[in-house]
This record gives sequence, C-alpha cells and structure tokens, in this order.
Amino acid sequence: MNLLSPMFLLLAQTGGTGGGFWFPESASTVAPEVDFAFDFITGISIFFFVLIVGVMLWFMFKYRRRGHLPSMESPTHNTPLEITWTAIPMILVVLIFYIGLKGYVNITTPPENSYEIEAVGQQWYWSFNYPNGATDINILHVPVGRPVKINLRANDVIHALFIPAFRVKMDAVPGRRTELWFEATREGEFELYCAEYCGTQHSQMVGKVIVYNQFAFEAKIDELANWLDKVPDEDLHKAGVILYNYCSTCHTVDGSPLIGPSFQETHELFKSGGTRKLADGSAVTVNEDYLRSSIRKPSDQIAASAQGVAYPSSMTPNIADQLGTRGVEAMIQMLMRLDELVDAEGKLKKVERADIVVGTEEPQ
Amino acid sequence: MTTIDTTKPTPGAETPPVDNYLTHSTGIMSWLGTLDHKRIGVMYLVSILTAFFLGGMFAMLLRLELMFPGEQILSQDQYNMAFTLHGVIMVFLVIIPSVPASLGNFVLPIMLGAKDVAFPRLNLFSYYLWVTGAVLAVSSIFFGGVDTGWTLYVPYSTSGTQMNGILLVTFAVFVLGFSSIFTGINFIVTIHRLRPPGMTWFRMPLFLWAIYATGILQVMATPVIGITVALLAVERLFGIGIFDPALGGDPVLFQHFFWFYSHPAVYIMILPGMGIISELISVHSHKHIFGYKFIAFSSVAIAIFSFIVWGHHMFLSGQSPLMNVVFSAITFSVAIPSAVKVFNWLATLYKGSISFNTPMLYALSFLVLFTISGLTGLHLGTLATDIHLHDTYFVVAHFHYTMMGGALIAMIGGIHHWWPKITGRMYSEFLGRIACGLIFIGFNLTFFTQFMLGSKGMPRRYHDYAGDNWNPTVTELFGKYHFWSSIGSFVMAAGFFLIAFYLLHSLFRGKKAPANPWGGRSLEWQCASPPPHDNFSEPPHVGDPYDFTVLEWDEQEQGYHWRHDLKHEPGEA
Repeated sequence: MNLLSPMFLLLAQTGGTGGGFWFPESASTVAPEVDFAFDFITGISIFFFVLIVGVMLWFMFKYRRRGHLPSMESPTHNTPLEITWTAIPMILVVLIFYIGLKGYVNITTPPENSYEIEAVGQQWYWSFNYPNGATDINILHVPVGRPVKINLRANDVIHALFIPAFRVKMDAVPGRRTELWFEATREGEFELYCAEYCGTQHSQMVGKVIVYNQFAFEAKIDELANWLDKVPDEDLHKAGVILYNYCSTCHTVDGSPLIGPSFQETHELFKSGGTRKLADGSAVTVNEDYLRSSIRKPSDQIAASAQGVAYPSSMTPNIADQLGTRGVEAMIQMLMRLDELVDAEGKLKKVERADIVVGTEEPQ
Repeated sequence: MTTIDTTKPTPGAETPPVDNYLTHSTGIMSWLGTLDHKRIGVMYLVSILTAFFLGGMFAMLLRLELMFPGEQILSQDQYNMAFTLHGVIMVFLVIIPSVPASLGNFVLPIMLGAKDVAFPRLNLFSYYLWVTGAVLAVSSIFFGGVDTGWTLYVPYSTSGTQMNGILLVTFAVFVLGFSSIFTGINFIVTIHRLRPPGMTWFRMPLFLWAIYATGILQVMATPVIGITVALLAVERLFGIGIFDPALGGDPVLFQHFFWFYSHPAVYIMILPGMGIISELISVHSHKHIFGYKFIAFSSVAIAIFSFIVWGHHMFLSGQSPLMNVVFSAITFSVAIPSAVKVFNWLATLYKGSISFNTPMLYALSFLVLFTISGLTGLHLGTLATDIHLHDTYFVVAHFHYTMMGGALIAMIGGIHHWWPKITGRMYSEFLGRIACGLIFIGFNLTFFTQFMLGSKGMPRRYHDYAGDNWNPTVTELFGKYHFWSSIGSFVMAAGFFLIAFYLLHSLFRGKKAPANPWGGRSLEWQCASPPPHDNFSEPPHVGDPYDFTVLEWDEQEQGYHWRHDLKHEPGEA
C-alpha cells in the first residue's frame, strides 16, 4: 500500500482522536479498526477513480473528433484483457470483504465481563436503565476503559442507537432484543442519535454519552438511583424540572402547541379548577387525581386540542414505570406549582440536582 | 439564443410534407386511445417528466429547509411528508418506469425493425395503470399525507394516524407494480418474437439487452412488492398481525419482503441507463463497442445477482450476524459486472472519434458519477464500515449518485440522443452543453458534501440539526455542509429549467432533424425523423449495430447516410 499512502495522508487524516476530513472524533476501541477499513477502501477507490477518470480524460483529448472521418481501426474485443479486469476487482473485493468481516466480528462480539445497560427507544427519547435501578433520559453515562453492552428495546416503532464517536449503531426493534457494545477510550462528552426514522420529532431524538472515570461513574449512577429519595417533599416540584426531559419532546411549558397539551395550559386549568375537553367528546375536571391518572394510564383519557381534534397519539404507556412512584409525584407537583418554576419569559428556571438533594457528598 | 439559420430553407421544405407518426392522425383521442408504441412512449415521457418536476419540487423544499439550522419553511410533519413524497414519486413514478416505458417504448420496436411491440393494447393499458397509480400516490397529499418514508417500514406505517394516505400510497404502489410487470412482459416477448431476419441475439443493440434484463427483473421481482403492500393494507384494515409486533407479527419480515423487491428494483432503475450509455458512447465516438458479449452478459449477471443481495439493507435490523456476513459477501459480487461495464466503455473510447455533443457529455458525466457511486458502494457493502455509515447521509449521497447520477443522467442523455428522432427537431447544442455542465457541477456540489455529512455522523431523514438537545458545535459543522449542498441543488435546478426551455423551444423553432444526425448504426437511424406511422417504408439493413464504417457524412443533409459506394441490400451483414 506504499503507493497509496500519500493519498491516505491527504484525504484521511484519522491518526489522532480529533477526527479528520471524513470522520468525527474517535473514542472507542473499535473506532481505529473501522477507520482503517474506511481509509483502506477509500484509498482503493481514489486509485480507481483517478485511473478511470484519468484514462477517460486522456482519451477525450487524444481521440477528440476531427472532422467527419471514420474512427481508427482497433480490436473490438480482447478476452485476456476482459479476464484481467474481471479478476483484479474480484481479488480486491475479497480483500475488502475480509477486512470488513474481521472488524465486524469484533464490533458484534461483546466481551464476557461487559457492564450491561438497557436502552429503551420510544417516540421521541431514549431512556437508559442501569442495573442498580438508576435511569436517565437521553444521556448515557458510561465508565472509561470498561466494555459496556447496551441491550436495546423499542416501545413503539423502530429506532436505532447511533454513537458516531464510537462508530457503533444498532436498530431497536419492537418485539425483538438487539444489542451493541463498545469500550470508551477516554473521558468526555459525545453525540448520540436516533438513526432509524421514527416520526415527527425524529430529529430531536438526540442526546449525549458522558464518559467518566470509574469512581465518578459509580458515584453518578448511585446519585441517579437514589437522588429522588433525598429530595425533601417541599422541593419535589423542583425535581420535576429535572424529570421534564421525559416530557419535553411533546409538552412545552410556555403554552405553545406541540404533540401534546402544554404544561402551562394544564397548570392554568388546575389553578382555575377548569375542565379539559377529551377526544371522545366528554370533559374532565383538572385536579390532582386527573393529573395522576393521566400519567399512570395515559391512553384512558386522550385530550383534545384547541381545535377540538384528538392529539396525535397518547403518551408512552409505561411512562409511570420509568418515572417511578416518587417521580410521578414530582411531575404532579411540578404541574401544580408550575408558576413558581418559570421565569418572566415563561422559560423553566435552571435546577441542579445538587441544589435540591440534601445529604449528598461530592464524589472524590 | 438558439442557432437558427433563417436564410437557408430548411431541408425538406421543398419536398411535400411526408406523413409521420405525429401527423398520421389528429385530435386528442388519436393520442389517448393510440396503440402506436411511439405515441405511447411520448405520452409516458411527458407524464414521467411531469412527475419528475413534481418530485424535484419536493426535493427543493427539502434543500431549502435544511439550508440553515432551525426551522425554515417546513414544520417537522411537513418535512417528513415532503421527503416521503419525494421518494415515492422519484422511485415509483419516475425512475422505475423512466427509461423502459418512455424511451424503451419509442425505440425498442424500431431498433428491432418491427412495426410495434408484441402487445400494443397491453402497452396502452400499462400506461393507464401508471396514470392511475400516479393520481393515487399524489392524491395522498389531500387525504392527510404520508410521512413514513418511501420504505413504508412497519410498525410506524401501521401504527401512525395517517391511515388514508398510507392506504392510498400502498394501493398506488400495487397498481404501479402491474404497470411495470406488463411493460416487462411486453418487451420480453417483443424481443423474443419480433426480431427481424438476420438479427441474432448478439446482433441486438446493447440497449435491448439491458431492456431485456430489466424486463426479467420487472416480471420476477415486482409481484413481491405487490404482495407485501397488500399484506400491509390487510394488516391496517383488519388488524391481522403480520408485521406489527403488537399483533404478533414481525417488523423485520416486512423489511425482508420490501427489500426482496426493492433491491432488484435498483437494477430495474440502473440497467436501462447502462444500456443507453453503451449506445451513446459507441455512437458518439463512431467506434465499435468494445467487449459486446461481456457488456451483454454483465447485464444478465447483474439481473441474477441482484436477487440475492437484499439483506445488505438490513445489516442493523437485528437479523443474525451470520446472515449479515453472507449478504455482505454476495453483495460484492454485484460490483464485478458493473466494473466490467465501465472498463469496456473506457476501452470503446480508445482510438475513437469522440464528439462532445450534448448526449455524449451526459454519457461521460455518467462514467464519472457512476464510478463514484460504485466505489462508495464498497464502503457500504463492507460490514465494519456500514455499521457507522448505515442510515446516515453517506447512504443518501451514495444512492443519489446511483439513481440520479446514474439512471437519470443516462435518461437525460438518452432524451437528447433520441430527441431528433422523436420530435424531428434539433435543439440548441450550445445551451445543451451549458445545461449539462450546470447539472454536473450542481450535482456534485449537492451530493459529494453529503458523503462527508454522513461519515461525520449526520443521520438521514432529519428535519433539523439544531435544538435543545443538539451540541452547537455539531450544528455549526453540519450547517456548513448543508448550506453548500443546497447551493448545489439550486445550480442543478437551473440546469433542468434550461433544458426544459431549449427543448420546448426546439419543438417550435428548432431546425428540422435529419434521419441520422449522430451517425448511429442501429435501425432507428434508418427511418425518417420523426418515423412514419409504420416505422419503415422498406425493410431496414440489419447488420452489426456498431459497425460505423458503412456510414458517411452528408454536408447538405447535416446528417449521416449509407455510403454511396456500398450496395443497399436488405438483411446484409
């Protein structure tokens, strides 16, 4: 490949972790292997492209039409030549296939001792569940230098988890279990996407992976598992602001319409003791019981929008399981006390976990 | 703008008007009810180009929306419907029927020296099926729209709320499938039964080999999509679980069915284009095609291989890793016949007399663009790299290089090549070359940027690349590529509008076309331009379709004709 190495350097500066002409930054053990395969194929492609287009341009110049004379005599077929240019690509594609296969075996074989995290795709967010009961939305927390296996599920339609910096991607298919694995090679924050088209908010089903050192990781998932219990009851509505990530793709807090009713509308109905029109034509008083039942069993009472038509679809049925009992209570508190949580422009005030959790210590 | 010589009387002006297929009968019904393959071909051409305009407009909406981060002109739902209709129109209404139904219909029987296709009534019927399918598909806009993508993946397509739109589109695909099957059967039978004496299989122009291989694919693969969308409709209407896991079905099964048709469909789209390129390169360099048998058999090889590679669309669907490995291996086998064709076309140019007429410029553009599409296919067929590139803009760029840079560029080249034959008029060479340049530059700017966008990690079918969850650095990076991609699409659109202008202009003001303006040797260049109703008044000279030595240039006629020192003998070699 010495012949091609200048081209590699020119177009594929993927030596470091910072990405290059083609790639985003790389941060997993399999990334260099994938990048090598890509660069190898790109090198072959550039070689053949230059060859084919070069010969074409040369012929175009050399044999350009001069008057209406018939073209020169030359053979119309040559079997050895045909066999040669059939055989050379054949050998090359076998080589490319082999390189791709070797990388693929590594990418699809998680090591035995992998740390397992469950990822659930639903319209339109990812929830990540950890063995200790911790859960988070759209943010995947992982340790550095340890293989992590993600078990994928989908609640409604097909989604796909895609982490470009790790060069991994896998579909999450309803009714099937799929998996992907990676080992992060350095700490930092990386992009995470849904890569299988899943409807209206597909382009906002985006999040990030945060890679920690082992200690910080343990502390983080510990905090995620227990933090709600450490929030005093009088601050529970503030915890709702953090959990709002579960809801934000469909419900706004400023009254503007989205997939579902705005929290502002619900809050004002609650304050005034008003009623909400439902898709089936009936109406229901917005009180604490209504709020609780519409989170626990969202499909029982589908709200009608201002125009009187049903909102497109009901909420994820198991949202209450994802939130947990105390999480549901936090959301109800948030809906009831929303006016205390927004600023003058109607935007949510920033709430940090550390501000409302009592008795936590900073990780060492 | 166009070069019209008004001082000199146009050739044929002195002679009394000759009857041709355009003047043979008049009135709107003489077109709508015609059984003449030439008129049906022209009706197809006009209809398909109209659909192409519509699909192109949707593409421009998408490019405008994506030009800058944040919502520009379309809401999320509108964007999703726009890319769905862009896909449905371009795949099912434009590219699949494009070359065989329009140019194929016009040229195929004449190339065979026949009066018509084997089943003229079936031909007309298949046109009206196309019209029905087109009306159904486009009318879905008025019944709630469809936002599933042209792939109609379940369970999204069975669980959404846009039931009417999806039923309309599935029914449209079903009907269009029959149109395609009938065209395929018609051409297969025509080629088998209506070849003139002396035209053996290996004396057919390569365009016919390509149409023949396409016909086999149309007849054998299309029923599968019919069955698939029928099952989809049954599931939606009656709630019978086939694909939807909530009803006990399997969504991956749908993907198998869908791609079992849609992968061969890729070759239904590209094979006729390859056939056109074989003609253009040979005729416009006045050079016998190199490796005739290898090009002909590679069409058949592609048709066969294309049936067993569908699984490469599903490397991440959850099918078993072993199947992925097998499908990846077989996928590479398709690369070989495609490469063989490219090498043979190159060898044809060797020692040729290469003109830079507009059709030839499209053929040369095709060589560049198709090479890029084929080579980037290697990145996607390779398992390790596909995992990163799957469902990103890299795939979008790759298939646009194949479908548009390949199939459509070839079709536009073919339209320019046969335009004098179809209409009897010459268009402006000067504007033709400019338009080709605009399209070539615009195309590469539009889609080469998308390769980088994809390898950098931008997933496809995204309405936006900004928002609360988005990293601003990424938004800025993707924004740069999207901006230039959109600029490219505007350049390309300018090229297409220019083509529309000078082609329409040529109908009214173009110079009269000679029978053989390029020096083509296949039979359609032996009848008048435009051809008479019955195609040939005397039996044409069948021979080697790429032997250009028998032709000579006639300055007065501005075209080529049979050499005076050679005897005219029907059926001579």
